[in-house]
Amino acid sequence: MKFYVCIKQVPDVSAPLQIKDGQLIQDNDRMILNAYDASAVEEALVLTEKHGGEVEVVLIGPEKASETIRKALAMGAHRGTHILITEKQKIDSAVYARILASYFSDKEYDFIACGKQAQDTDSGLTGSMLAEHLKIPYVTNAVGLDYENHHLTVKRQGDIGQEMIELPAPGVVTCSNDMNEPRIPSLKGIMQSKRKEVNTLTPDELGMKMEDVEIKTRILGFEEKPGRKPGKKLEGDPDKIARKTAHLLDEEAGVL
Amino acid sequence: MDEKFDCIIVGAGVAGLAAAMTLARNNIKFLLIEKGEFAGAKNVSGGVIWGQDLAKLVPEYWKDEEAGWDRFINHRRLTFIDEESAFSLDFKSRHFNEPPYSGVIVLRSKFDRWLANKVEDAIAESEYSMDSFIATNILVEEILMEGDKAVGIRTGDEKFYADNVIIAEGVNNLLTRQAGLQDKYVPADHILTGVKEIIRYERSVLEDRFQLNGLSGMSNEFVGYATRGVEGGGFLYTNRDTISIGLVLGLKDLRDKELKPYDILNDFKAHPVIKDTIRGGEVVEYSAHVVSSGDKRGIPEKLYKGGLLVCGEAANLLMNAGKAIQGMDYAMRSGILAAETIIEAKSKNDFSITQMKKYQGNLNNSYIMKDINNFQDAVQLLHNPVMYQKVPSLINHFGRNFFTIKNEPTKKSREMMGESVKAHSSYWELIKLGLKGARSL
Amino acid sequence: MSTLLTYISVNNGKIKRSSLEVLSRCTQEANKLGFKSAALIIDENATQYSSQLGSYGLTKVYTVEGPSFKNHLNTPVLKALSAVMNRVKPKVMAFASTEGSKDILGALAANQGIPALPDMSEFEVTDTGVKGKRPVMAAKIISNVEAEGDSVIISVRSGSYDLINLPSEPEVESVEVDVGEDETKSILKEIITASGDRVDLSEADVVVAAGRGVKDEEGQNLISELARLLNAGIGASRALTESGAYDPSLQIGQTGKVVSPQLYIAVGISGAIQHVAGITNSKVIVAINKDPDAPIFDIADYGIVGDLYKVLPPFIEELKKIKGE
Ligand SMILES: Cc1cc2nc3c(=O)[nH]c(=O)nc-3n(C[C@H](O)[C@H](O)[C@H](O)COP(=O)(O)OP(=O)(O)OC[C@H]3O[C@@H](n4cnc5c(N)ncnc54)[C@H](O)[C@@H]3O)c2cc1C
Ligand SMILES: Cc1cc2nc3c(=O)[nH]c(=O)nc-3n(C[C@H](O)[C@H](O)[C@H](O)COP(=O)(O)OP(=O)(O)OC[C@H]3O[C@@H](n4cnc5c(N)ncnc54)[C@H](O)[C@@H]3O)c2cc1C
Ligand SMILES: Nc1ncnc2c1ncn2[C@@H]1O[C@H](COP(=O)(O)O)[C@@H](O)[C@H]1O
Repeated sequence: MKFYVCIKQVPDVSAPLQIKDGQLIQDNDRMILNAYDASAVEEALVLTEKHGGEVEVVLIGPEKASETIRKALAMGAHRGTHILITEKQKIDSAVYARILASYFSDKEYDFIACGKQAQDTDSGLTGSMLAEHLKIPYVTNAVGLDYENHHLTVKRQGDIGQEMIELPAPGVVTCSNDMNEPRIPSLKGIMQSKRKEVNTLTPDELGMKMEDVEIKTRILGFEEKPGRKPGKKLEGDPDKIARKTAHLLDEEAGVL
Repeated sequence: MDEKFDCIIVGAGVAGLAAAMTLARNNIKFLLIEKGEFAGAKNVSGGVIWGQDLAKLVPEYWKDEEAGWDRFINHRRLTFIDEESAFSLDFKSRHFNEPPYSGVIVLRSKFDRWLANKVEDAIAESEYSMDSFIATNILVEEILMEGDKAVGIRTGDEKFYADNVIIAEGVNNLLTRQAGLQDKYVPADHILTGVKEIIRYERSVLEDRFQLNGLSGMSNEFVGYATRGVEGGGFLYTNRDTISIGLVLGLKDLRDKELKPYDILNDFKAHPVIKDTIRGGEVVEYSAHVVSSGDKRGIPEKLYKGGLLVCGEAANLLMNAGKAIQGMDYAMRSGILAAETIIEAKSKNDFSITQMKKYQGNLNNSYIMKDINNFQDAVQLLHNPVMYQKVPSLINHFGRNFFTIKNEPTKKSREMMGESVKAHSSYWELIKLGLKGARSL
Repeated sequence: MSTLLTYISVNNGKIKRSSLEVLSRCTQEANKLGFKSAALIIDENATQYSSQLGSYGLTKVYTVEGPSFKNHLNTPVLKALSAVMNRVKPKVMAFASTEGSKDILGALAANQGIPALPDMSEFEVTDTGVKGKRPVMAAKIISNVEAEGDSVIISVRSGSYDLINLPSEPEVESVEVDVGEDETKSILKEIITASGDRVDLSEADVVVAAGRGVKDEEGQNLISELARLLNAGIGASRALTESGAYDPSLQIGQTGKVVSPQLYIAVGISGAIQHVAGITNSKVIVAINKDPDAPIFDIADYGIVGDLYKVLPPFIEELKKIKGE
């Protein structure tokens, strides 16, 4: 089967950051493979290892995002496509989804996997937008996948419990990181990744003029979160501090 | 793909990267392996590269817009502190303002990553652009030996082979020991521990407070109460919009005195003099790392075997003689020397122990071993309690008297000095120290 | 006159409080701007719930009913939503941020060709669209965002707005939607729910959450006992949903649920940013952890440094006394 996985390069959210004049500044500009996408790659690899087929990763991003494609190739993806945009273009999920849709419009595939959301923005829009553009069924927030007979059986985490959904090919599935532990590339994998094919193209070549694209959502700026400050910290005899806290919750915080 | 390499380097710290750069430039097919997620991910250091080998590796690095370094040093300060005072020697000069700089401050995670990218560029331009690699997030677990000769490495159940292995694994030198080049047991008095915080300021605040101009920077070393009487010293370096402040502390002394490095660092930061210097910032990072003492007795006797070389702090190459820690300089130079040995070996196709031995010869002839040998006494002096306890107290006692005006008959400064000496040491101890110092520096 | 339309989610036969929070905000905005506030219920028995919407200042309630809406499945819901949107042309289509709404937000936006702003913590309706705030970078910071369009889709985090009380008698209009073959390509085969009568986490007033420090059954029993006593929802960190100790639907955080209780008690949880991303809307946070340097203490109002096995028994005992049990 042919599996496409859409992967995004995101800043490492654990790295220290600061806000200056409404701009977000990251202490180190280290970028990583979106954790949810890593799970999608892992799942696609497991399924193609079992049922045969190929995994291709697709990334829209600036030139330096190619290292993230290499990472997915080192994990075992067979080939990559890099749709180049400039660093300055402030693109939202809607535009990413349209670029992806124009890329997939003439492709043959069984399934397209996305992450359920990007780790930095937590938008979670691209996958279902893409499915709607391609007019194919989709399932979001998958926590487990099984393949049989041109169908995926998707275990999806819903509001009250897990839903088992049968998704016929071709379809889109967005993956949660709860479904697996993405493999860490082996040394051989890293070495092989250097020789794998990465096809680079531009939105222009896909028939999209980026200058004319209307971006309907905008980030106006960033601000600190109204801070939570550390409150009382009680140390010492467990019995005493436990009882004391119970009373503080009752008398001081008034939340009992 | 032919999986045999000319050389495998373990560790993408300063030493490993310097070796890799040298190999890439000379068309050697190599594999550089780093256990951190990226080069620099695991590396802590206060951060001054004093020497000029960096310019050899990356010519005119100062012109690079996205340079991996933070500031160049044109202002140095050595401060003696006791419980409430600080007495500094302070030197600033315009002649430090032009490249090649004689001291650049770096933050390792940024610097190492930048240098790794430069190595990638060099690989791309070499004959082995598709066959040489930097692989990160891979832990080398074993050096593979055939008889007495190293032939490759193992990670997990993958094995990779090479004519030669360079160990550049840093101070936690498990592989060096495994290869039998260093005793399993290194006495605790040859090991120090470094703790460091990075504190952030508005850039303009930082520049005003430390009198910085453009990319100029200041380095400040501390001796005395900084360590609460524990063997060691402190440092403060200015980065672009942060400072690195930290301590290097003797492990054995810490243990004997039952003190925790972090507590001492907090006390240091709360010292009345330091507190004023660093007020208002926000701590953004804390880290701790072992560091060699610079004591020659910690250096393995042999840094080579058939097909094997050890460089950088894995070989305990480091200088800590009071005026600065030089670890990265030594790492860089020894990495270059190791790579040059491989280049020669490759041209002769001789990776025998005799060929490898030339590395040690070159190291002995370089400034590294010359300095280490010449300044041994200074190193040991620095680790003498008189030096890190009594001298700072004495100097500050004198300072307080000398700078205090009391509207009573003022004593001659020589008399004041005498009182200070009496209060904190004896003439005899000082004379001993003076003699030692004069001999060692 | 323009309409602000709020989607009312129903779970286990109950309207979710988080939808009512969004509805309350929309009504306030509508009243301020002279717009209409309306609600939309899509459910097997949608009309049955419309009577519960009498105190939110509504002019109208739209309902879409039918057996296809018994359980959540995106295609039928999407079809219903776009039918109603085509009809009403709302200036804002607002959702509470739930797994159900996350499932359709993007597709609906693409279908309607309009912008979407998901997971907002604040919003306001403007002349040109919607602007507001949303937490980003694992909820470490806030981004100020804006969407431009005659119609904008948004979803709002639970706990962001208070409920209002503004009696009204909305007209109920039922919209017919045909769910045909096209909409049933993907099939819902089964719903696996964990034990039914549990307090819904995202709505709970008190949440007790267990982390890796809760190592065994003894620990889990303490958690259950504490939760029972406080009538709390039980949540867990990823460490424990991953290990299988707790049901995956109980995960709190970036991947899991966002909670906004009056009282949140983290037991044996280190406070990784991805976990904290889901709890910062809590009014009071209590942390029990044996490591005094655990990052959870940086955001806890009350931090108890100690072994949970030694802390919880007296804590529970004392709470019982206070509660008169
Ligand atoms: C607090 C502190 C302050 C300091 N200040 C200064 C200063 O101001 N100036 C200065 O010159 N020096 C300073 N030093 C010393 C300096 O940091 C070291 O001497 C220098 O980093 C040594 O370089 P290296 O390349 O040999 O080792 P490292 O920089 O330690 O690099 C070793 C690399 O090998 C990797 N590695 C280790 N084992 C394996 C394995 N098995 N498999 C794969 N990878 C592995 C490690 O992850 C690491 O990246 C300071 C040190 C400390 C702790
Ligand atoms: C993309 C992404 C999304 C994620 N999403 C989520 C999410 O939604 N929710 C989530 O929770 N995590 C999430 N994570 C994982 C998260 O990063 C942490 O790994 C996880 O939250 C850790 O769980 P923990 O605090 O229970 O475990 P640990 O970090 O292992 O902490 C256990 C704590 O228990 C304490 N402890 C141990 N024994 C005792 C004792 N006897 N008494 C008292 N204290 C004790 C320890 O001191 C420690 O602080 C995500 C990660 C990624 C990369
Ligand atoms: N620039 C991109 N390139 C490729 N895939 C993307 C890109 N942006 C988003 N995606 C995919 O869409 C998912 C959700 O992204 P988002 O809607 O931004 O939260 C990601 O996990 C990716 O799978």
